[in-house]
Amino acid sequence: MNLYDYKQELDQEGILLSFSGPMTHEMIEGVGRAIRVKIEGGEDGDKKAALKVFSIFVEQVENVIRYSVEKDHVDSNMSFGIIVIGKKDGHFYIIGGNKIETEKQQTLESYLEQLAAMNKDELKVFYKKRRRAERSGDSKGAGIGFIEMARKSSQPLEFNFQKVDDIHSFFTIKITI
Amino acid sequence: MQTLEISATKSSPAVHFDAQSNTLSIMGESYPENTAQFYEPVFEWLEEYIDSLQEQHVTFNMELIYFNSSSSKALMDIFDILEEACDEDKKIVLNWIYDEDNDAALEYGEEFAEDIESLTFNLVEKPLAD
Repeated sequence: MNLYDYKQELDQEGILLSFSGPMTHEMIEGVGRAIRVKIEGGEDGDKKAALKVFSIFVEQVENVIRYSVEKDHVDSNMSFGIIVIGKKDGHFYIIGGNKIETEKQQTLESYLEQLAAMNKDELKVFYKKRRRAERSGDSKGAGIGFIEMARKSSQPLEFNFQKVDDIHSFFTIKITI
Repeated sequence: MQTLEISATKSSPAVHFDAQSNTLSIMGESYPENTAQFYEPVFEWLEEYIDSLQEQHVTFNMELIYFNSSSSKALMDIFDILEEACDEDKKIVLNWIYDEDNDAALEYGEEFAEDIESLTFNLVEKPLAD
């Protein structure tokens, strides 16, 4: 049993954090804070990047907690998913993933496609409009998390859906800041 | 009215609403586990307080280092309540306080300001402590 090779691989890929497992609000507070401190105090000492990475991390983990279909049997506020934070070519990226019901895929996919096609000004207008709108039924948050992520992203949103079984798909989203 | 006092946690801000001195403040970070639940007493207090307001001058200091997207919506809802009060000639000034080196907080403040009309919304830069 030796995790050294695995760690070497992560280091070589520039991965700062790789977590697959149960996610809770406490994890956002704890792991999120550690990541923030690490980036703030890193060789670049980049406070702005630290806050950006942290904010995307918060939105992504919140999405996993809310929307992953893999939930803990006892604690309904605990859901399973995966999150990776890394740095490539000078840009931080945050990738999150969780299992969803395939029937939810189409709505989510067309929403994300809509966001990916918007420029920064359009995203800003849309963000403001949605912020003032009433909370919609299926959305446990404000429904503006993805817009927030798209606005902080230096590249168009990248996302993917992979079929898992008859009724489930795995959703992955990547934000590069 | 009783003072509303909520202590800060890692993910929720300190709230201090004082009806005697007409000074309200929200300070810290806001990404609570349940945003609606956290802000419920804030809205309740605020609505009752505004109903009771007459000629007093109210100062609302808001100093948030970071807030998540669902808190952003809660803040907009707070500003909408204050806007309505100002439309009824209540005298409220909001100070959006941000650290000199926190561009994101300034930008968020500017964006809120763009969506606000009757409420006096000041952007107040706070110099970094040495």
